[in-house]
Parts: sequence; C-alpha cells; structure tokens
Amino acid sequence: MNGNIGVYVCECGPNIGEKIDIDKVLEAIASLPHVKVAKRFGLLCSNDGKKYLEDEMRKEELTHVVIAACSPRDHEQTFMTVAERAGLNPYLVQLVNIREQCAWMIPDKEAATEKAIKYIRAGISRVSLHQALTKKELEVCTDVLVIGGGISGIETALSLAGEDRKVFIVEKSEELGGKANKLSRLLPHQGSTLSLIQEKIDTLNKNAHIEVFTGSQVVDARGFLGNFEVVIQKGENAGEQEIKVGAVVVATGFDLFNPEENPAYGLGKVDNVVTSLQLEEMIKTEKVLLKNGKPPRSLALIHCVGRSEKGYCSKTCCLNILKNAHFLKDKIKDVDVTEIYRDLCLPNKADQDYYEEVEKKGVKFLRSNEIVNIKAEGGQISVEYKIDGKSKKISVDMAVLSPAMIPSADSKKIAEMLNLPLDPTGFIKEAHGMLEPIATPIEGVFAAGCSLGPKNIPESIIQAQATAGNIISSLIPGKKIKPEVKVSVVREEFCTGCQTCLSVCFYGAISFDPHKGVSVVNEAICRGCGSCVGSCPSGAIRSKHFTYTQLYREVLEALR
Amino acid sequence: MSSDFKPNIVGFLCNWCSYAGADLAGSSKMEVKPYLSVIRVMCSSRINSNLVLTALLWGADGVLIAGCHPGDCHYEQGNYYARRRFALLKKIMETLKLEPDRLQLSWVSASEGKRYAEVVNKFSDEITKMGPNPIHKNPKI
Repeated sequence: MNGNIGVYVCECGPNIGEKIDIDKVLEAIASLPHVKVAKRFGLLCSNDGKKYLEDEMRKEELTHVVIAACSPRDHEQTFMTVAERAGLNPYLVQLVNIREQCAWMIPDKEAATEKAIKYIRAGISRVSLHQALTKKELEVCTDVLVIGGGISGIETALSLAGEDRKVFIVEKSEELGGKANKLSRLLPHQGSTLSLIQEKIDTLNKNAHIEVFTGSQVVDARGFLGNFEVVIQKGENAGEQEIKVGAVVVATGFDLFNPEENPAYGLGKVDNVVTSLQLEEMIKTEKVLLKNGKPPRSLALIHCVGRSEKGYCSKTCCLNILKNAHFLKDKIKDVDVTEIYRDLCLPNKADQDYYEEVEKKGVKFLRSNEIVNIKAEGGQISVEYKIDGKSKKISVDMAVLSPAMIPSADSKKIAEMLNLPLDPTGFIKEAHGMLEPIATPIEGVFAAGCSLGPKNIPESIIQAQATAGNIISSLIPGKKIKPEVKVSVVREEFCTGCQTCLSVCFYGAISFDPHKGVSVVNEAICRGCGSCVGSCPSGAIRSKHFTYTQLYREVLEALR
Repeated sequence: MSSDFKPNIVGFLCNWCSYAGADLAGSSKMEVKPYLSVIRVMCSSRINSNLVLTALLWGADGVLIAGCHPGDCHYEQGNYYARRRFALLKKIMETLKLEPDRLQLSWVSASEGKRYAEVVNKFSDEITKMGPNPIHKNPKI
C-alpha cells in the first residue's frame, strides 16, 4: 500500500494508562511499515481528544487511522464521526479494543502490554486493506400497506394516514372490523358498546388518505424498507392492482381452534353444544335458545378448549366468558351458569373486580384439568371432566365451548411471501420478543395485533399505534434512508451459480441472474451478516469491511 | 511440551453476543488468560472453513468460534450455519491429521461475561495441556 497510517493510543485515564505500558507499545509499533505517527493521548473520546484527533488527521495527512482504546461497541461511531469531519472516509479508521478485552481482563501488566501490541499490529495490518465505503442514499416511499382490516389494521391505518402518507388496507373478507365486530358487546371497562368499533370504521371510510380493498388479497410483495412493490388481487374477477409502498404491516389477526378436531368436545355431534362465537351471535340477536326453541335453564361455559392441544393460553377468552356469563345471568331468569376452566387468566387491573362481580351473581366456577367427554344424556348434556385425577360430571341444557386463538389461515402464506419467520405456535415471530415486540426480522415489515399471538382489543390497539409510530419515525417524507454499507458483493467471475447463498440468506437479499448464471446481492436488503460469504464454496462473495484478506491478516498477527 | 508453553489461540467472536460478552467480562474485571486473540466478525456464520483451517495450518494451537445461543442469533439463523460448518470442520481436521479438539464452538451471550471468561480459560487450559500444534514440528502434515 501507499499511505500514512496514524496510530493513537488512548490512556482512557487510568483505565489503560495504568494497566498497559503505553510507551513500550508505541516503541513496538512506531517502526512498522506505513506507520507515520504513533502517539498517546489522555482521553480521546473527550472533546479535547476529538479535536486533537481531527487536527492530527489533517496535519499528518493520514490515509488510515488506528485508534487503540475501548470496545468498538463503545466509541467506534464517535471516531468515525471525527474522521468524517477531518475529511477522511470513516471506514478507513480501525478501533482496536485494548481496554475491555485487554487492560481490564489481563492483570499482569507485561502480558497485557504484549497483548495490546498484538491487537494493534493486527489493527494496522487490517486497516491498510480497508476500502473507503460510502453510504448510498435512497429515496423512500412513505405510503404503507396494511394486510388485514381488523381492529389492529384499522388502528394502524388511522394512526398513519395523512397529507403525506397514504395507507392501503387489504382485507380478505367483505367488511372491515374483523373478529371484534362479531362480538355481542365489549367488556364494561372497555366501553360497553360496539359502536366504538363502528365509529372507527366510519372514520376510516371517510379518510381520503386511506384506500380500502375488501374481498381482496395481497398476492405478491417484494422489496425493502422504503421500497416495496405489491400486487393486490381485487375480489374474484376485479383483476390485479400494483402499488408501491415503503412499509408493510401484517395485521392478519387470528382464527379459532376448531373443537371438532377433538371428538370429546361433542361439537357437531351433540345438540346444544355451541362455540362462544355462536353464543355471541345469539346474544346479539337476543335469542339465546335451545334447539327446541326454549331458553336454557342451565349452561356450562367451557374455557380452555384447545389449550392442551395448542400448548398456550389464549389469555382473552376468560374475560369474554365472564362477560357472557354476566349477560346470561341478567337476561335469563333463574338460569344456572357454570364455568369450567383449566387456567383462569385475569391479568389486567379491572379484571379481578369483574370476576368477583360475576361470582356474586351466582356463577359457579369449577376447575378441571381436562374435558373427558361431552355427550347427550337423558335429554340434557353431560359434561365429564377430570380434576386431580378424579372424574366428575355435570348436566346442563347447553354447553358453550371457548376455543383457543390460532394463527389465521393465511398467515403462513403471507409469512412465506414476506420472508417472515413463524414461532412454534405458528404465529409470526417478533424480531425480539422483549425488546422489539412489533418489529419483524425484515426491515420495513411490521406486525401488530393477533398476527403475533393472542391479544385483547386494547393490546391490539397499543401495538397498532406503536407500529404506526415506528413507521412514522423511519419513513419521513422527503428524507432519504441510508442502508447498511458493510454488505456482501458477488464477484461474478468466481460465481459458479450454485445458489447456496440464496438458501442461506435469511433476508432474501440474494437473487439469481439466469442470463449471467450468477448470484446478485441487493445491497439495500443485505444486513451484512456474512452467512453467504461463509457458505460460498467458490469464495465468490466478498463481505465489505470483513473481507477474507482483512480477517486473514488478523489471524496472522494473532499467530505472530 | 515445555512448561512455559504459551499457546496461540484465535477466537472468532460474533459482534452481537460473544464480542459483547467478552467486553462484559472485561468491564466486570474478570481475569481471562491472555492466550486467545479476538477477531471480531458480524456473525459466526461469516467464518468460512478455510479461514479456520488456515489458522490451524499456520500454527494456531487452538481456534474458538463463539456466537449467540441457538435461537438468539442477531441474524436469526447464522449460528446454526456456524454449527453445521463446525461439525464439518471437525471431520476435515481428522483427515488433515489436525487434532479436532483444537477447534471449539461455544455460545456466549452479551450478558454472559462470566461464561466468556470460563470458556476462554477452560479452552486455554485444555490447549496448554495438549501442547503446541504438531504442525510446528512437522510442517508437512
């Protein structure tokens, strides 16, 4: 190489200064090839230190800089910014970690000094191979596609749509509102009427910045944050429409576990065994009646249908069942209501009070580990269940099954289309369950509501608003985005077209060019993990800033 | 094997978990043996087989690959690729007459400073016990 490398060792106060013999370090590296200056400084990340570095880079006409200081996780960005101010490409700076992984873990000063020299030599050797990388700027489309017109989708659209942002909602059924619209009413502490949901739908329909496609499906969506191309299949015979958006929100909601999968529940075989949604319908029309047209004198409301089969708690059914028990007690004189539950899930602040209120009305609660059998017996229904190994039985006129929430039928197809992972339950997997609960691993694709797992209406609304917030802050009108630059590139002359890289790229960033017979990396999608580089059998893929030769140099210095 | 043998170990650490775990070991002032030299990569899946083999053929007494725990990879699946490559490398090492025990794969998360120190210290002890990479004595193998 031709160039001037500047090496600056930070004392970091006593942190490095007292643990490593910096003068010895400087002496060992000062005469290495291309090292023009090797100096020490008290605290390089301080304002004085940054000013000093900037002046040095200019004065010494440095082409590459090695800073031996703290972990790159701490101050890599700081020193890259300094380089930029000094007119040096920030990727020509290498921060060598001689604090956390040297001074602080090797108590013996001599050994620590030796290690620091080794690391700095590796940094010098590596930096001389660095290439200037420039962040590209890409225009973004700020419009958003929302898949699913349930409460999460509606709320996302309402929070996002505005003068500079259009929202497209694609709903597969003929109307908006999703499952929330099928309920007879909401919980008292959620606002007692469903008109609240209808009001949201009306507001949405009036919003000129929201375009609604009902009876429609998304058949293709490809691209990356700021630039997605989407194809919508409109209705049965209404043809296709192509749109461009900057982000996609998956709000595909949930379906209900079909209790017919387990014959023990008696659904479809035994008269007057119904599902909770069928009961909601009866309550809505105020006709809670048996098959013979008479009102039931006793009902069993059965929780946790599918809890064992699916392996998780759906956490919203308990409250919904309490709500229905409350209604039945109020509307049918002297009716006997029994709830049979496995887990009673009352997680929110108003839930316990509501449960106690329902209990005071005379609703009975029986704990069961398993529903053994539901069958017709003596003109009634016998519900046999097990608790602590013992079989018990009650007889009722009507049995209402509350099935578990399961991923919606389309979610798998949509996940495949967008490259999204599913978790073992089949719901969409969050980018991070705790820290990024609404992001997916694919940048620009978000999820909200029950597409991520069972949720009640307020929780779905919170997620919808959070998703909207996330999109508003990442897709700003007029502002360009700068994708990762430490990405992979295919050297076409070495590529054999085996397409191994396509199969390992989690983000779908690599495609195959059939005319040239080579793989092509879409740099806007690539996250720079290097999986493709590691797996390429012909060494045709290069990882910018983590090239084979750069790592090889580090290996050689480690072995010196 | 001489008693003052100081092994040279190359450690490839993924940026998101293991490198951060190593930083934590340092900031918690845990004592870590100085024989392992860290090379940072974005993901353990970046390490191609020939980089590991080159290190061993050039005389590394040991190579450690450390990444995020299964299921925790910053890039979702990278550590699984690293694991498969590791299994393959062990076989290749046998055929090259390089002792497979000189290569280790470990999962160290960003919060496992203590685990990092334990992994490195234990591996350093094992390699010290094994003695120098025989390639030093017989560069033809």
